[in-house]
Amino acid sequence: MRKRIVLYILTALVATNCSCDEGKDMDSPVIMMNDSRAFPPNCATLYRGEQFEFRAVFTDNRALGNYNIEIHQNFDHHSHSTGAEECPVDSVKTPHNPFVYNQSFAILGSPTYYEAVAGIAIPAEIDTGDYHFMVRLTDRAGWQQLAAVSVKIADRN
Amino acid sequence: MISLLFAFPIRAQQTTIRAQDSITELEAVTVSTGSPRNRIMQSAYSRQVIEGIWVEENLAGSLMQSLESLPGIQAASIGAGQSRPAIRGLGFNRMIVAEDGVKHAGQPWGEEHGLEIDQFAIGDVEISKGAGALRYGSDAIGGVINVRHESMPLRRFEGTTNLMIKSVNESVGVAAQVAGRAGRFWYRAKMTLIDYADAGVLADSIQYYSYYIKLHERRLRNTAGKEQDAGLAVGYAGDKLRTTFRIANVYTKNGFFANAHGLEVRLSKIDYDRSRRDIDLPYHAVNHIKISNHTEWQSERWRVELRAACQYNKRDEYAEPVSHGYMPTPPNTLERQFQKQTCNIGAEATFLWSAQHVVHVGLEAEYQQNRSAGWDFIIPDFRTTTTGLYVQDRLSLSEDLALTAGVRVDRITTGIDPYYDWYRTPVAGGDSLFLMRAAPLQRLFTCLTGSAGINYRTGLWVLKANVGKSFRAPIPKELGADGINYSIFRYEKGAAWLSPEESYQLDAGVYWGNERVEVLAESYWNYFPNYIYLNPTAEYREGLQLYTHTQSRVFRWGFEATVDWRLSDNIHAALTGEYVYSTQLSGEKTGYSLPFSPPAVATLLLKYQPHTTWTGPDGFIALHCKVVGNQYAIVPPEKPTDGYQTLALSAGRSFLWGSHRLRLMLRCDNLLNTAYFDHTNYYRLMDIPEPGRNISFLVGWQF
Repeated sequence: MRKRIVLYILTALVATNCSCDEGKDMDSPVIMMNDSRAFPPNCATLYRGEQFEFRAVFTDNRALGNYNIEIHQNFDHHSHSTGAEECPVDSVKTPHNPFVYNQSFAILGSPTYYEAVAGIAIPAEIDTGDYHFMVRLTDRAGWQQLAAVSVKIADRN
Repeated sequence: MISLLFAFPIRAQQTTIRAQDSITELEAVTVSTGSPRNRIMQSAYSRQVIEGIWVEENLAGSLMQSLESLPGIQAASIGAGQSRPAIRGLGFNRMIVAEDGVKHAGQPWGEEHGLEIDQFAIGDVEISKGAGALRYGSDAIGGVINVRHESMPLRRFEGTTNLMIKSVNESVGVAAQVAGRAGRFWYRAKMTLIDYADAGVLADSIQYYSYYIKLHERRLRNTAGKEQDAGLAVGYAGDKLRTTFRIANVYTKNGFFANAHGLEVRLSKIDYDRSRRDIDLPYHAVNHIKISNHTEWQSERWRVELRAACQYNKRDEYAEPVSHGYMPTPPNTLERQFQKQTCNIGAEATFLWSAQHVVHVGLEAEYQQNRSAGWDFIIPDFRTTTTGLYVQDRLSLSEDLALTAGVRVDRITTGIDPYYDWYRTPVAGGDSLFLMRAAPLQRLFTCLTGSAGINYRTGLWVLKANVGKSFRAPIPKELGADGINYSIFRYEKGAAWLSPEESYQLDAGVYWGNERVEVLAESYWNYFPNYIYLNPTAEYREGLQLYTHTQSRVFRWGFEATVDWRLSDNIHAALTGEYVYSTQLSGEKTGYSLPFSPPAVATLLLKYQPHTTWTGPDGFIALHCKVVGNQYAIVPPEKPTDGYQTLALSAGRSFLWGSHRLRLMLRCDNLLNTAYFDHTNYYRLMDIPEPGRNISFLVGWQF
């Protein structure tokens, strides 16, 4: 009798397990940086004293959350991009006035498809050289995706 | 045998003080020979004692990895030589590791923080699953792993030396101890030295996010480490009074996989591949010193136990300095440092009220302070004072029916110091500030907990059930954190309003056994009205994903089952299974599981002990099969993990010459060199597979 009761309870619990799977989002959002419309591509050159436009397509199975763009110096070659291609780098140097950019952007309305566009101004007085351009993207459920490209900041002339 | 009886009652904690109790306790210690029914009758919750020899036969890289094959016990490995424990999926601050009844005070909240206990310096291990709140207070929600030391040596002078080697990380170790007695006084001195190289894995490269990291000679770059432990115990053992003073130091230094520290892919100018035995950045160096006294006085109707201990845990975490956001490149490599000092004192009196009633009364007090340093901020400095009082009555209505009930009250105060960044962050209006990362806070938590249980024996059956409430005071990281956790690259925000986490649990167990077959099934149903959960949000804070500490309702249930079958005098088979299900019932992650939920596991052990002259008194060969299920019940940022099967083979025997004993043990783990991921291991998030085939050899000489 006792065993039968335990069995009933176990069966009931197993049954409830399966029913609650439907509501859960188990997929990370997607950053499409390889698209021809995306900017900057890996190994791109950006120019100080100018503004450029970040462009990428984000998708998610349910609802996109927010995204963040971070640009930091890679003068010590501490990391590399998520792209397959290795970009040519300058020699290692000490930062004096490196460009630091860190900005978060809201994606309104929790869409499943979003074309991100953001204008980013590079001040004229910052150090030129190798930089990392990182994109972080969340969805509403808290999953995150990263994409990083190597870029160079130079003078236009 | 007489000396054994003499030695073991000191360890008795939950048993009565009648004369035959020394015998029941002894039976509990020698699991294989005593009457298991008596053992099951002793506690209403799941309680098990593992002998030191069992740990030796299942020896892995660290204590928890050795104990992992027990049902309901999980080890989250941090490489091949470090691990942190979990019981029924509850780890971190939701379970307690104790030494001789004294709570071990390390930094268990960290994913990459291993347990600082020398696995060669133990007598036996007492495991209580899902209970222990009454005796240990806060944090014992998941259970207690109580490591007990050997007490008085049996002879005037004796000693042991163990040498061991392990192939997977080229580990070399020596553990030695000498002990002796003069009249009623005794001593025991121990030392352990272990050195290991970068662990080998079954992969040429690792794909992390979309990063591609090549491995040199299939080795996990910079996961080498070492351990250096020493301890001394001196004691007096009289007829009524026994006391032991113990001082022990555990030092570990271990490197971390160089290319993905902090969940960020990193290249470095350090030439990691020049040697696999060196430890470069990033690495942790931890020193834990423990000084304790355990005194017991016993009379006809009374037993009084006193425990006092002071512990100093110093953890230095080093990493290459990197600028991030507005934090400039730090001037040194000390990423984090924690210095925790803990002193506690406890007294427990056991009183034989009548032939039926045994009453335990206990009082505990603890003071703890923690200071942090380094360029990374994760927990504010704090001081915690805990006082607890408990009383328990065990009523034996007959030989076959016992009731247990107890209550405990705790008062915990936590004081948190403010913390400011060491660098300036620009704020609106062109100004910049040293941002405050933790606000000063003073909290008082009071908790009333209790448990009640029943044990009933009929024929070959023993039935038991226990219902209990346990709790955990929020830790300062959960209350006061407000900054970037660089070692996992996320922004963590605490909540000063968190209430003490409470857990209600029903445990039920069935045992059936005859001379040949024993079956034990234990199940539990567990409800948290306010589980403290670090919730990954969709928001960004200072460029990193924001994780906030919140509380949600959680339901868990699970079971462990063991079938022991002595097929003949020579052959023994054991089948075990464990399963945990957890679900969040409220909050943003309703319907999701809990972080690091262990998958279902089944194991089969086949042990053959021929008892012939050429195999000696205890020669054996054993086959261990392990089948692990898929773990697809995950929460962000975890990844679904597929199940796997592994095989292990072990063999060993002793040689006796007079009072000398030589013991050889050979073991091969992951016999088929299977590539797999362990869902709860630290390196899982970085997509790093587990080690491949591992051959270990142990030679022990006892005199």
